[in-house]
Amino acid sequence: MTVNHWCKNLKLAAFIAAIFAHGPLVAEQIKSAYDLVRGTAKAAKELNYRGVFTYEFRGTLRSIKVVHLVRDGQTYEHIVHMDGDGHEIVRRGDDVGCTRPAEMLLLGTDFTADSSPRLDDLYSFYIRGNARIAGRMAYMVEIRPKDKLRYGYVVAIDKLNGLMLQSMLISQSGKPLERFQYVDISFPGELDNIQLPEQLVNSQQAPGCLESYEAADASVSKWQPTWLPSGFVLSDIKIDSSTGDESWIYTDGLALFSVFIDSAEKSRRFPPVDAKLGTTVAVLSKVTVADQHYAICVVGEIPDATARQIAASISPLASTIEGAVQAIK
Amino acid sequence: MSDSKERLAESVSALMDGETSEIELHRILKEVGIDQDQQIDSSDSVRGIWQRYHMVAASLAGEPVDKIDLSASIAAAIDAEDAHRQNPVTRFASSAGRFAIAASVAMVAVLGVQQLNSPDPVSTDALQFAEMDIDASQQNTGPALQFPAGFQPNAPVRTVSAGGSVKTSQPPVSLVEVRPVNSMNFSEKQLRGYMDDIMLRHSNNAALNSNRGMLPFARITKSEAASSQE
Repeated sequence: MTVNHWCKNLKLAAFIAAIFAHGPLVAEQIKSAYDLVRGTAKAAKELNYRGVFTYEFRGTLRSIKVVHLVRDGQTYEHIVHMDGDGHEIVRRGDDVGCTRPAEMLLLGTDFTADSSPRLDDLYSFYIRGNARIAGRMAYMVEIRPKDKLRYGYVVAIDKLNGLMLQSMLISQSGKPLERFQYVDISFPGELDNIQLPEQLVNSQQAPGCLESYEAADASVSKWQPTWLPSGFVLSDIKIDSSTGDESWIYTDGLALFSVFIDSAEKSRRFPPVDAKLGTTVAVLSKVTVADQHYAICVVGEIPDATARQIAASISPLASTIEGAVQAIK
Repeated sequence: MSDSKERLAESVSALMDGETSEIELHRILKEVGIDQDQQIDSSDSVRGIWQRYHMVAASLAGEPVDKIDLSASIAAAIDAEDAHRQNPVTRFASSAGRFAIAASVAMVAVLGVQQLNSPDPVSTDALQFAEMDIDASQQNTGPALQFPAGFQPNAPVRTVSAGGSVKTSQPPVSLVEVRPVNSMNFSEKQLRGYMDDIMLRHSNNAALNSNRGMLPFARITKSEAASSQE
């Protein structure tokens, strides 16, 4: 009787021990919402896949077919719009090893100063259950901004390979503004060995990958923004040497906006204007420095108010004003 | 039984099962009228067939079979009843109410459709610019989660036809909002082209600098890019 009782207790103890022993293993398998989102950049770059996705905004639906191939450390993309004019993009992308600032920000690697906010300081990440997208099981992840300066996202991430299968841009009031979603996607092994089509091999190489964040040097610019939404860093800057027109790209790791500064005659006639195409807003403002007109345009998938505030904050450096005044004298 | 009678009997059988077409039903009713005019009241008449078939159906279903015909007495009772009359005033009031509702529906339809279609459909192929009005951009943008692709919650407005060639299925399009209008020494087309070019340059930036996968390629299409080349 006593032995039997003791046996029972032993069984119970073993059972509890088994649960505790497995605990950490289970915890390891379930990634955090933030880790899932971080993994999407790598998956999108390194996987071979082909599929069809839809893009929906303001009641408009587009369907687009894609093939993404990685060969000898290079990414190749073939993108065909399946409706409308059949617009086609053939592109040789970055080296797989190339990491651009947006990805560094997403991964939280340490190229930014310690004081600047990390992605999880700007957004909250939550796993919102499971979904089946394009016939594949996915985690639904909500990415909610902690301020009103940027939009939120709801994304579906493939459970097996971490690719983003669905992404919705969510306004501050919680309404979806656009939806990107695969309807069919496959990762067939034959893509690893398939002969690259001629047009992909001969496609144009994307502009060079930055070696480090310092390569995006803001000091060459004659302008500066006096206000930026927190967490946005300069990803790239291009200055046209003949016209002096500037093009900046800022990103916080998820959202992205461009700033164009343009002194061309054609833009001089236009009044300050706000425009919107789908979820992309454009705010055009005008600045006159010593009789020289400049059009400053902020474009991006950011809230209207943020874009206006950035546009209003962009001002010429003191040296730029002096130079312009000197030129007139 | 003649050929036509046989077909009539088939029709009556179908009527019992509720499977007659409208033409068949009219033919049966016409036969009933002919029978009455000719004072035929035999088992060959339509009414006779009707009664017989019901008796067969009842006996097959194991119900008691009675040959009581109430139809004549019911018809007589209906004839004897006073016809309903309506007070002329209430009749006018109710029809006026109906008219008022109809008028307001028309008003909503006209307003709604005009909002959806403004400005002219010609510019739809150019570009879909929206106003930067925060309310408008929050209200009518984006797919609603609970609706399948392409459907919008304001569907009832769409069902009203606004006349022939106007495409109510087109996405809502509104103008570029010009804040201070100083001098109109530019055309709207030029401005659209310029803004379009800016959007395209941005989408190229986005494709290179974001880690949103294929998403940036979906936002701008060639027709939009082409219009910027003008």
